[in-house]
Amino acid sequence: MVNEKDDSQRKKKESIVDLSKFLDKKVRVKFQGGREATGILKGYDQLLNLVLDGAIEHLRDAEDPTVIGDETRNLGLIVARGTAITVVAPSDGMEQIPNPFANADE
Amino acid sequence: MIMVDCVEMASTSVNPSTLLPLELVDKCIGSRIWVIMKNDKEIVGTLSGFDDYVNMVLEDVVEFENTPDGKKVTKLDTILLNGNHITMLVPGGEGPEV
Repeated sequence: MVNEKDDSQRKKKESIVDLSKFLDKKVRVKFQGGREATGILKGYDQLLNLVLDGAIEHLRDAEDPTVIGDETRNLGLIVARGTAITVVAPSDGMEQIPNPFANADE
Repeated sequence: MIMVDCVEMASTSVNPSTLLPLELVDKCIGSRIWVIMKNDKEIVGTLSGFDDYVNMVLEDVVEFENTPDGKKVTKLDTILLNGNHITMLVPGGEGPEV
């Protein structure tokens, strides 16, 4: 049992994600607080801070801040703070679909 | 001058040819930077410096609140911006369109 502990207490802190596969690819990043942005991943660090090039922020509806609307604004070259990031996903691998759980009220 | 010891940072290979985010912020010291918070607040100022937690010291600051649309609140002198709620940083940024 002690051996298991040694294994999980490695001195080096290895990251559980590998962002190198996203380098120079377009990614969609979601933040705490509801903001979303897309951009080309140019760099990152251990703490998940990101460098995004040509970043676009997707703005929320004025009436309903929980809904991401169609409006965007260009930000350019940005640093995204790792402490605020919740999701990093490939931009190409996503599409919006109709709600598959739509008939949940039974 | 902020020196980051890359050896200490970790053995997880962040390929050194990628652009490190905090290096980009460091290059911005002395220039205007646009800081976007988690809420609807944005700050534009001249970056004097920052620390490991990305708390920032800014000068000639303009603060923008987006929702009530009373967009400008101008502060001068120097502020310490608490890094806790910072979401995005735009080096050389001018801020939201007025």
